[in-house]
Amino acid sequence: MNAALDKTAVFICHCSGNISEHIDINYLKKTLQAEGVPVFDYEYLCSREGQTLIKNKISEGNLDRIVIGSCTPSKHGTLFKKCIQEAGLNRAMLEIANLREHCAWVHPDKAEATEKAISLLRGKLRRLENIEPLEEIKVDIAPQALVIGGGIAGITAAVNLADNGISTYLVEKDSSIGGNMAKIGKVFSPDKLAEECAMCSLSPLMNEVVVNPKITLLTWTEVDRLSGSAGNFTVRLRKKPRYVQDKCTGCGRCSHVCPVLVENEFNCGHMDKKAISLRFSQSVPKTYCIDPDHCLQLNGETCGKCAEACKSGAIDFSQKEEIIDLNVGAIIVATGFDEYDASQKPQYGYGIFKNVMTQMELARMLGINGPTKGTLLKPSDFSMACEAIRSSTGTCGNKNSSDNPSDNSNGTGTPKRIVMIQCVGSRDEKEGGNRYCSRYCCMAALKHSSLILKKYPDTEITICYIDLRALGFYENYYRAVQDMGVNFVRGRPAEIVEKPDKSLVVRIEDTLDQRIKEIPADLVVLSAAMIPSRGTRKIASVLNLSQDESGFLKERHSKLKPVDSSLDGIFVCGTAQSPKDVTDTISQAGLAAVRGRAFIADSPKALVNEIPTIDQLLCTQCKECLKCPFDAFSLKENGKIVVDPLVCTGCGYCTELCQNGAIQIASFMKTQLKAEIEGILKEGDLLGFVNSGIASLTCDNIGNSVLSYPSNVKLIKVPTNLVVDKDLLLHAFKCGASSVLFIEDPPDSPKAEVIYPLTVSHFEKLKKEMGDSGSRLYFKKAYVPNTKGLAGTFTSLAREGEMIK
Amino acid sequence: MKTIEDIPDRQLLLFKSCMVGQEYPGVETSTRYVFDRLGVDYCINDEQSCCTGIGHYTDIFEGLTTTAIAARNFAVAKRCGYPNITCLCSTCYAINKEACEVLNTNTEIREKVNSIFREQGLEDLVYEKDDMNVRTNFYHAVEILLSKANKIQEQKKFDFSGVKVAAHHACHYYKVKYLDVLGNPENPQLIDTIAAACGADMVRWYEDRTLTCGMGFSQLHLNKNTSLQVTKKKLDSLQKAGVELMIHMCPNCHIQYDRYQPVIEKEFGVKYDMVHMNIAQFVALSMGADPYKVCGFQTHSVPLEGFLEKYCQ
Repeated sequence: MNAALDKTAVFICHCSGNISEHIDINYLKKTLQAEGVPVFDYEYLCSREGQTLIKNKISEGNLDRIVIGSCTPSKHGTLFKKCIQEAGLNRAMLEIANLREHCAWVHPDKAEATEKAISLLRGKLRRLENIEPLEEIKVDIAPQALVIGGGIAGITAAVNLADNGISTYLVEKDSSIGGNMAKIGKVFSPDKLAEECAMCSLSPLMNEVVVNPKITLLTWTEVDRLSGSAGNFTVRLRKKPRYVQDKCTGCGRCSHVCPVLVENEFNCGHMDKKAISLRFSQSVPKTYCIDPDHCLQLNGETCGKCAEACKSGAIDFSQKEEIIDLNVGAIIVATGFDEYDASQKPQYGYGIFKNVMTQMELARMLGINGPTKGTLLKPSDFSMACEAIRSSTGTCGNKNSSDNPSDNSNGTGTPKRIVMIQCVGSRDEKEGGNRYCSRYCCMAALKHSSLILKKYPDTEITICYIDLRALGFYENYYRAVQDMGVNFVRGRPAEIVEKPDKSLVVRIEDTLDQRIKEIPADLVVLSAAMIPSRGTRKIASVLNLSQDESGFLKERHSKLKPVDSSLDGIFVCGTAQSPKDVTDTISQAGLAAVRGRAFIADSPKALVNEIPTIDQLLCTQCKECLKCPFDAFSLKENGKIVVDPLVCTGCGYCTELCQNGAIQIASFMKTQLKAEIEGILKEGDLLGFVNSGIASLTCDNIGNSVLSYPSNVKLIKVPTNLVVDKDLLLHAFKCGASSVLFIEDPPDSPKAEVIYPLTVSHFEKLKKEMGDSGSRLYFKKAYVPNTKGLAGTFTSLAREGEMIK
Repeated sequence: MKTIEDIPDRQLLLFKSCMVGQEYPGVETSTRYVFDRLGVDYCINDEQSCCTGIGHYTDIFEGLTTTAIAARNFAVAKRCGYPNITCLCSTCYAINKEACEVLNTNTEIREKVNSIFREQGLEDLVYEKDDMNVRTNFYHAVEILLSKANKIQEQKKFDFSGVKVAAHHACHYYKVKYLDVLGNPENPQLIDTIAAACGADMVRWYEDRTLTCGMGFSQLHLNKNTSLQVTKKKLDSLQKAGVELMIHMCPNCHIQYDRYQPVIEKEFGVKYDMVHMNIAQFVALSMGADPYKVCGFQTHSVPLEGFLEKYCQ
């Protein structure tokens, strides 16, 4: 036995027969003991007693290196590492041989399985000869968070973070927070049959954002750039000038005197806003903002009426754009949705016929702070009727009026027959549509129907639907709306026709009775799909986040990690992630806050230390390693190349880039891999290098799936196959390998999408370099469910090997 | 989904159409006139036969015969080195595309067709799977024109600004293979875009825009009244929208509108103010082609003299 191993011991777990019934443990013990290695075995090493045994033996024998033969290290690896650390050893001093998934469960012949088990243990023992202790890498995480987007998702996330003690910046591109929810007059509620006032729920939350000392609110501000890495992001913000200082009291005198009317985006494009205005009367912050495109003074004309009217001297035409750099540990993206552009369905006449509108426009109209102060009107009669309302309530926007607008309606302009069309741009496979269901529209249509019927009981409402999706407790709401007398017609309307009097006819096949119907209407409301907002699309490119095919930000795992984005330290919630309603948005935002807080609280962060080590003596500063696709390397001022452990994925591409052999991956040094090869290989073996991610899981799953393959298949785990070079391959063939198989992760995650092509070209390059032996080199992409396919590959390649032997 | 960048202008077999040839030969001469001036590389091959579409949709040819004839035409196209079949008629387009899909995906039918060829000693016609690609070997002449809209705009001699024009897109182009068309099949814009390049003032939307022309192949003969009522509905909508010129892309629509407008006027006692044209005729006209020698307007039933006098002087 090698002198380095005189204080080494092997521990074998029986795994309650899972291992001991398939492997002759006594024979194994005798063999290794004859070689001078002490071997201990126990029923369950993972149990408390098992770990106590390990710890006791370490202190009794003054052991410094341990090999455990047990189940896959992905199951109890962390536990065993912790165990030997508690006994005073460095984590690197433990090696685990997988005697269950790679041996006992896949090789039915006991003698063969025992033989392979011994070789696996030998490989691990040889590896330990060359082991160096690994230092833990820890980094401090910036204790602040950034929330991007000030809608209900962003507000909820920011308030939750602040309540958990995290200093939080909330950034909003508009002049007020509130987002889309502020536009909706009433929201539907799952447990009541009533509609709740959206602003009554939202307003206290918005005020909480202002008063909470842990929250810094930055409105009229956009995110320009992101640098740094998870835990230490540097975010560059651009704060646009409002031309109104914070001392604004929100009295509204400026808006009253302003001579310029502008299009009001908040009111879906109505011309009812001044060039100096609040976004809406409950805006937070309640600081006016000047529209720089339309203000006369800012466009070279003499006006300045607002400055004259302002009693607190808050108007400041000299304000300039500010650049703000923030250092934050975690980011939550809550950039929300836009409504689908319904003019892409010209057969519905949106943008062509005046009396066709979207649900969001209807929501604005029904909102008491909307363009008609809550009065339902046909848009074709709108300007006339709206004039009447405006003159009765003073100026637009900011002055609260005590008039009751609904009294104004004497019937002129009020639509009597309303048709709502569901799934406009949703559940639509044609070009220009979206395949997904937007989730909120069925309930929005039901809610608006209920609101309208309560206020205007004589209205006839028809909802044209494909399927009505009132999930969970919403079913009660659906039933209540049915009882109110709303008509439901199942079918997707073909076309809307406008009559000379601006009334409409909706042509539809009722697919329940298979008849063509023509439904007359005064107003048609389109339930347009939710699509990712322009802000969401922009932030995806600024932050480099993965998106799904529709442009929503993609979560790491739809079930297990629903708010983790593709990048560590960046989380996503609300409609930026997928279509959802207010209720679901709030729950998801809460989770995003918890995940963000957990990320920050884990400071200093212990990082995986299986990352590149750089031998500064060999390094020539050729800068080849700076080609790292994750930009993990940098050249310091002192001329030294350093690696950022936060960014590094440990893939090993740098070991290929470095021509001087200065870079190796800790725990996967060439000497260690060579030693393991020498330990495990026999003449005619198939050697598999397994990516430690998905590929490794798949190999383990072969055992779980009760499949088998020949025992001359030997697997060695590597970060990726990029660490395997020509020298290692030659060594493997010298040690008896009949062929070598690279088993790689498929390009299914953002990280693997980068790495996979590199492994493919690396493989092709090696195949060429190896000359004749290149034909003995194989590559396989491993998908977790495809255990059968992988076992089949093992078997056929191993048989070929046997034939060569 | 097709994109405009995918539309070729080389190796096009200009696929002759029976309806164009016998009813409106000006559509073919106009297309050739325009293609020649746009530098499109095309050929017309006399060995090519009818696609059988009109017979197929009137239940005279069953599917196997239609597929076998299509396979023969594919062999003709490949043999002459012009494998991109470019149709003047949207029925030829749909029939060829559908037949290609059947031949590529249905082994039984492919074998049957090939065995007929072999029995008759026509080995050179045998179709191997994927000899033609459903997506990349079949085009409508309008797609080629659309891909050259900028060039058309540069070369136009007459400006049709001020002419109120409406488009009728062919159902056999937009509805049969609706996942493989240029643009949004619910909002077809091919003709609109090309005609706008010629300066026409397009009517963006008119009632019944998505309605068929009414022909329905056998329907025109078996249920003539229904067929003409549909056409009348469409003509009424156009009249209401103040349309002067109706442009289409399929000889079947052309027949239905142009030949039957006078019939409808007589039978229903109405009067319409619009004239009809194929988009290729319109483009040729705007590029300075002779209205009779090239565009063949003398074969139209709704006379165009008034229109030509008004706008092409």
